[in-house]
Parts: sequence; C-alpha cells; structure tokens
Amino acid sequence: MNRFDLQTWLPAIVLGVLVAAISVYDRGFLAPSNLITITGDTMTLFLMASGLTFVIMLGSIDLSVQAIASMASCIMAVYISRYGIVAVPFALLGGALAGAFSAIVSTRMRIPTFISTLAVSGVVLSFGYWFSDTRSVNIPAADRDMWLFWITGSFAGIPGEIWVGLVALLVLSALLQLSPFGRLVRGVGAQEQAVVASGINVDRVKFFAYVLSGFMAALAGVVMGARLGSGSPTLANEFLLPAIAAVVVGGTAITGGVGSVWRTFIGALIIQVVRIGMTFVGISVFAQQIVFGALLVAAVAITMDRSKVLVVK
Amino acid sequence: MTAGSARTSASAERLRQWAPLLVLAGLCVLIGFFNTNFYSFGNLVRLLNSAAIPIVLCMGATFIILMGSIDLSVEGVVALCAVIASLLVANDVNQVAIGLAAVPVALALGGAMGFANGWLHIKLKTPSFMTTLGMGFVGLGIATAILAGLTVRISDQTFRYLSLGRVFGIPMAVWIALASFIVAYVIQERTRFGRWIYAIGTDEVTARQAGIPIERTRILAFTLAGVFAGMAGVLAAAQFGQGCALIANGRLFTTVAAIVVGGTALSGGVGSVVNSVIGVLIVVVLANGMVLMGIQPYVQQGVQGLLIIAAVALALDRSRLAVVK
Repeated sequence: MNRFDLQTWLPAIVLGVLVAAISVYDRGFLAPSNLITITGDTMTLFLMASGLTFVIMLGSIDLSVQAIASMASCIMAVYISRYGIVAVPFALLGGALAGAFSAIVSTRMRIPTFISTLAVSGVVLSFGYWFSDTRSVNIPAADRDMWLFWITGSFAGIPGEIWVGLVALLVLSALLQLSPFGRLVRGVGAQEQAVVASGINVDRVKFFAYVLSGFMAALAGVVMGARLGSGSPTLANEFLLPAIAAVVVGGTAITGGVGSVWRTFIGALIIQVVRIGMTFVGISVFAQQIVFGALLVAAVAITMDRSKVLVVK
Repeated sequence: MTAGSARTSASAERLRQWAPLLVLAGLCVLIGFFNTNFYSFGNLVRLLNSAAIPIVLCMGATFIILMGSIDLSVEGVVALCAVIASLLVANDVNQVAIGLAAVPVALALGGAMGFANGWLHIKLKTPSFMTTLGMGFVGLGIATAILAGLTVRISDQTFRYLSLGRVFGIPMAVWIALASFIVAYVIQERTRFGRWIYAIGTDEVTARQAGIPIERTRILAFTLAGVFAGMAGVLAAAQFGQGCALIANGRLFTTVAAIVVGGTALSGGVGSVVNSVIGVLIVVVLANGMVLMGIQPYVQQGVQGLLIIAAVALALDRSRLAVVK
C-alpha cells in the first residue's frame, strides 16, 4: 500500500477499530439510537472543522474559528427574541465577515495566517463580549421551538442537527471536489506559484475559503447555542484544538493540497469516539486535552508532505 | 508604505528602528495629558509590576521568533509550572512544603516542556506553530487535570515574597524581570548561541552551509523559552497566591503582541530582547491607559489583536516572502 492510499483509508480503518474496541466492552454502543446520539453530538465539531478544511487545504490555518463560533452564538441568542429567524443569518453574516477580515489582513498585508487569525480571534472575542454584554445569554424556549426547530427537532427519526451536518457534508464536498473553486483551493495548496503563474487571482480564492471557514464556524456556533439553549462569549473556547485535530486526523495534510470534507467527517467522528472511549476508560474530561494535543502533533507528523517545505520553521 | 518596500530609504529604515520607542513616548505623553495620575510613583510601580511577567515570558519567546518560528505553548507551560510550583510550596491541597526549592523544579519543568517542543518540532519535522499548539494544550490539560479544575491556595509567604516583596520600594517581580532581561541580553549579544539564532532567522540554508548546528540551536532555543516561561509561571503563582490553569489566560496574546509591537519581525533575523522590553511597556502602558480612561477590560484583547496586525504589517519585510501561507 503506498503512502497516498494509506493516508486515504487509515482514518476510516482507525474509526472502525475504535468503534469495534468500544463495542466489545459496551454491547449497547452499536445500538442505532446510541449511534445516532453520537453522530448528533459530533455535528457541531464537524461543522466547524468542515469550513476549516478548505483553509487547511490551502496550506494555511484559521485559529479564530472557536472565537467566531462563540460570537455567532451570542449574536443569535441576543437577537432571536427580537428579530426571530433573522438572527440566524445575522450570526452567519458575522462569521463570514470575520473570515473576510482574516483573509484581507493576511493577503493584503501579507501576514502569515497563523498570526493574522490569532490576532483576529482576539478582535472577534471582544466583539462576542460586546454583543452579549460579557454575560451568557439564554434563548427563551418559545423562540427555540419556533425558530430553531430545524436543529433541535427531528425528521424521520433523525435529529435536525444531523440533517444540517449531512447537507453541509454534501454541499461542501461538491464544492471542493466538483466546482472550479474547489479545484483552485486544491491547486493553491499543492503549488501556489503555479496557480499564480497561470493568471489566477489567488487572493480571491483565499478570500472565499476564509469566508467559508468563518461562515461554517458561525453555523457551528448557532447549532451549539441552539442545543445548549444559550449563547456565551466563551461557549466554543475548547473547540479549536478538536477542530484542527478533526481535519488533520481525517487525513488532510496541513501542508495543503491533499484532503477532503468527508475525511474531516471521519476525523470528527474519530475525535468523538476517542472522547467517548476515554470517558469510558475513566480518563477525566480535564485530561482529554492532553490526548488531543498529542493526537494533533502525531497526525500532523504523519500526514504532512515534507517534500514541500525546504525549511521547517 | 507601498509594496515596493525594497526601495525604502535609509532614513525611513532608521525611523522604523526607532518607531517602537517613539510610540511608547507618544503614548506616555498622551495618557499623561489626560490623566496626571499616570506619572505618580504609585502608578509607575504598578506599570512595572504588570510588565514583569510579560517581560520574563518575552525574553525566551523573542529567541523563538528571531528564528522565524513561533511558540504557541506559552499558556500551557506557564499554567503547568504555576500549578506545580504552588503544589510544592506550603498550600491547602497537600502536605508538601519545599519552599523556594520549588523554583528550580518549576524552571526545570518549563525547560523540559520547551525541550519537548523543540525536539518534536525538529525530529518530526513539523512546523513549530502546530507542535507548540499541541504541546500547549497538553500542558493546559495536565495543569487542569492535576487539580481537577480546582484552585490551590499558597500559604508560603517566603515564596510569595518572590513577587510581592519590595526592595528599594520596587516589587521583587520587577527585579526578577530585570535579571531575566540581563540574562537574555547577555545570551543574545555575548554567546555563540545568540549569534546563531540571528543567523538561522536570517537565512537558515546559508546558516546550515556555514556549519551552524541548526537542530541543536533550535532545540536549545525552545528549551530556553520553556525555562523563561517556567519562571513566569512561578511569578504568576507568587503574585496571585494561587495556582490554577486559568492563571495563564491571555498570556500568549500579550507575549506575541509585545514582541511584534517592539519591532521584532515574525519572518526572523530582525529584532532583539531590548525591542521586546519596549514592546511589553507599550502593551502595558496602553492597557493601563485604557483602564484610566474607563474602557471596558474585555476590549483589551481586541485592541491587542489589532495592534498585532498593525505592527506585523509595518515590520514585515515583504520582499522576502514570495508566498504567504
């Protein structure tokens, strides 16, 4: 099996092994209702990681997704009782704007993205505090039932959030695999100079990738807020590491060019199953960050393409 | 400034060199104009005191950025070292009380985490921002897990003297920051290691051809940054009289902001620990000024974010960057 094949199938194999291992100890694990619950719990992570996939495919990074998700949950929670459903597109717009800001800062000023998005995350965090007046904001149950039923309700026996995630998976996969934009994203990640040389406006490709990342992070924030029934400026703080880990564990290389949205889907499921497994074995919630941190470094080391970087900084 | 910054004249170059100091002076004049309390001895001591921990942190982190790398694990190292130090001195969680001997332990622990950063970054050939991001979460995770999310209170007054004690009316923390600065300055100016850092940051390929031991220097730099972060953790524990994972909140942001605002370029090779001290003072004076003007504290991280963008945009030598990822 060559390296490319291994990278494609390894995540799915790992997921299968993990699920099998847990189901040996816990017979109830494979029950359909349990699997649906687990998939539902994974959706917020997947939504956040799905947009991030595009950015990482470029060979860049977005360290502001957790701040954007938190801010979106605040915008939604604050405005939903006043403006109804309009609060949701409002929140998504906020996320898209934050992504656009990151893109402009890094492409116009030519600042490496790990620093520009770190800086933008600070700005976005402040906005989250500003929208929510530094508090956690409750979403009234009536508003939740009226406007957010597509997340909290269920259709055909499957929770709304899973439908949202599946739609995102299909749309974003199509965008990445079939559209010209997706091809350019892969091209920029694989060999940016070649894309520039062929006369493509690379900055515009990056702009849309960051807007998409911000948008999806905001959608994740909205779903998170709807599930918890509240928005808070620190709601998604713990999600940056799992989100990057989901993308990388799924087999998308941080050097760019190689990856896909369904890999991120598998990656998010792996993260969730690992988390369940750790809880099952009795590793405290607090200690789980340790495992995720180590997992991230390991996955990056396995997937990255070293022929692309002469000097590792 | 336009994209053709290669043509920047010598005088503009000199201006850029002095810009951080001018910004600091301008800020002081401006804030002093609005609030005369700014220049009181009490406020100056308060300023220096709040600059102490960031300065210690920046001393190590500057070396990393000078190499063109980054250390995102600052918060994890500070949190873990603060928690371990507070568990080793007299406290309300366990019976251990080794007093000031906790300091070298914390420094060694910080050094070990820094070494792990550097070693993984070099041996796995993973970019430093990813390696240190992962390690940072490992550190935070361990710090939180040890205490199960709780806080440990320190009752050892000798240990707390490290931050709160006063010599000539100035807090010990400031003296320790000064000592850290001198150590870092000597390393930077008077050792081969210090010069190698500049060489690596300027052009790693050439540095390798010149026979500089890149791997060893990089790992040593990360180890050193870990030791300084460990010292910062000790100071934070001593200052607040407690240890918990939250003690490191926002430290990474302040550190990166201070270093780039001071004029050290993220692309490596340009800057110095002196710049970083000025950068810390700018950030601290700005924060102090915002408090004096009654601006909400939560705005500060946003302002620091914009500060990072502005400073990096001004300092970056774009002619060296063909592709920005």
